[in-house]
Amino acid sequence: MSLVRNWQIGRSMSYWYPESRPRRQFAAVFDVNKCIACQTCTLACKTTWTSGKGQEYMLWNNVESKPYGYYPLGWDVKLLEKLGPQPWEGKQYKGRTIFEAAEAGERALGWRPAEIDYAHPNVGEDDCAGQQIVDGAWYQVPHLSWFFYLARICNHCTYPACLASCPRGSIYKRPEDGIVLVDQGRCRGYQECVKACPYKKVFFNPMTGTSEKCLACFPKIEQNLAPQCFLNCIGKIRCAGFVHLPEKADPENPIDYLVHVRKVALPLFPQLGLEPNVYYVPPLHAPLPFLEQMFGPGVHEALATYRKAATDPDLAGLLALFGSTEQIVHRFKRRGETMYGYDDRGHEVVKVPIREPVQVLTSFDPRRGVAPANVT
Amino acid sequence: MAPTLRSLAPLLALALACSQAPQRPVSPAEVRALRVAALPEGPDDPAWRAAPVHAAALLPQDVVEPRLLAPSTVSLEAQSLTDGKRVAFRLAWSSPGHADTVIPARFSDAVAVQLPARAAPEAPNPMMGEAGLPVEITYWRAAWQAMVDGRPDTLAALYPNARVDHYPFEAASLAAGSPEQAAMARRFAPARALGNPMAGPRPRPVQDLRATGPGTLSPSEQQVSSGAGKATPGGWAVVLVRPLPAGLEPGKRSQVAFAVWQGGQGEVGARKMRTGWIPLALEGGK
Repeated sequence: MSLVRNWQIGRSMSYWYPESRPRRQFAAVFDVNKCIACQTCTLACKTTWTSGKGQEYMLWNNVESKPYGYYPLGWDVKLLEKLGPQPWEGKQYKGRTIFEAAEAGERALGWRPAEIDYAHPNVGEDDCAGQQIVDGAWYQVPHLSWFFYLARICNHCTYPACLASCPRGSIYKRPEDGIVLVDQGRCRGYQECVKACPYKKVFFNPMTGTSEKCLACFPKIEQNLAPQCFLNCIGKIRCAGFVHLPEKADPENPIDYLVHVRKVALPLFPQLGLEPNVYYVPPLHAPLPFLEQMFGPGVHEALATYRKAATDPDLAGLLALFGSTEQIVHRFKRRGETMYGYDDRGHEVVKVPIREPVQVLTSFDPRRGVAPANVT
Repeated sequence: MAPTLRSLAPLLALALACSQAPQRPVSPAEVRALRVAALPEGPDDPAWRAAPVHAAALLPQDVVEPRLLAPSTVSLEAQSLTDGKRVAFRLAWSSPGHADTVIPARFSDAVAVQLPARAAPEAPNPMMGEAGLPVEITYWRAAWQAMVDGRPDTLAALYPNARVDHYPFEAASLAAGSPEQAAMARRFAPARALGNPMAGPRPRPVQDLRATGPGTLSPSEQQVSSGAGKATPGGWAVVLVRPLPAGLEPGKRSQVAFAVWQGGQGEVGARKMRTGWIPLALEGGK
């Protein structure tokens, strides 16, 4: 085991291999508040990558309703239960990561889903948690009942548990973009990675005898294009890019700005110790203790900043850039009421108004002499 | 008091049983390969009756992560024969579950024979060899045996109730069985497209492998071994036949090691029961 730095937990930790960061790290920000769980991302991925034999059950991308939605069943709560309660002290995690809590003979603390755990891909859809709604209840904030949609892909972690757990080094992290891949020529299907990945984003293919996973649409990344699940997102909740270490954050880089400068986007279960690289703008209307467990102690600050986004032109403008182009936006710049996005060579690839012009339809149109009806 | 016929009955029965099942020769200290003219290809071949049985004690692989901490299969019966060019091993062990499918979270029973790639006074590390001292492994898997014995390479064979609407490579525009269709199907099975020998149908239930230490296992350039396995009432009996490794010939000695995986216990890869080196003596002559 080596001692490596994990900025997300504010300390060094044990990992199977020495620290070796890629030249640049693929990363993403998902704004949970904009997701409507239409599953278009899920289908975009499915039709692109996993329509082969043995891949029927695979969802490299899925959207689940939290707190009761899972794919596979109980992926998060089963591991949290195994790990037990662990403390944070401020922004520093004092508990044990899955590498530090590994049981004897194991490289990481994990569990292996049974087949039945994959049987219901959208279990828990729209199930609410919270107080029981009884006759006579009225709308309140915070809501009496709550749920939110969590869109998930592989986190292309800086310290992948799948990679650490493979006894024969069949999983590798690309030095050019940090994308984590299973070498399909070398894998022997031991399924150690399936057991170790806390996000359960590696799947065993029984027809090829190997494990397969999200590859961040790397052929598109190589052409500066966003992955299929980003491009097809109806709610425009996703932003693809590259993230730096906090001390090297570039305030004009969209991911760095959201993650490091404004701290409005947070990693998923940072306490597990993988330094995952998909960052989430947490949901506004869910209990804070739940969100703290899921996204770490930064959730209070993130929500406070996000609540003011409407009066914050840079943040509002950047959020409006999400999903506005297939090109990966490496830099952004606001001029007045317009936000501009640039590719890695500095060419302008998109511009969006921070606020769409509002059209007010009157109840009667005197010019045409009709009363417009809303037909949707 | 003179013994009555009734009191002698159990002894008589035992004597009768012993006369029906002849005592098998044993070789407690080493695996002795008898010289024969023709090697048997199956575990039920009468040629095995003469081959001495070595009862190999198995230990958990509890040195390299991921480890196996709880012992499962504690012993394996090994016999060996050679025709002077090849060596055959008959391996029998108990595996109550007869696990012969590999699907998510389920693994196959398996067995392997390991020999130094070159018979020499300096033996490689018994745990998968070492740099400069490679080992050669012949690996048999019950799931592959099931395919060789006729289980189709289809999803329905693994999941009889599965219903799939459509695969892109089975579109009506592609003639079934055409090269175009085969090429497209390969694109949807990355491991097959890359020629990974773990993937797809196979003519033999065994695989030739080579290693120079834990984590280095890779398929041999030449696939030269054959084998056949059969479920027994309490486990498996498997015959593995491979060419003699470099430097090993009749009358000479080398080492052999065995490993057993109980798929039903989640044993796969490094999680296995294994032996250290056991002396291997090849009978000379002829």
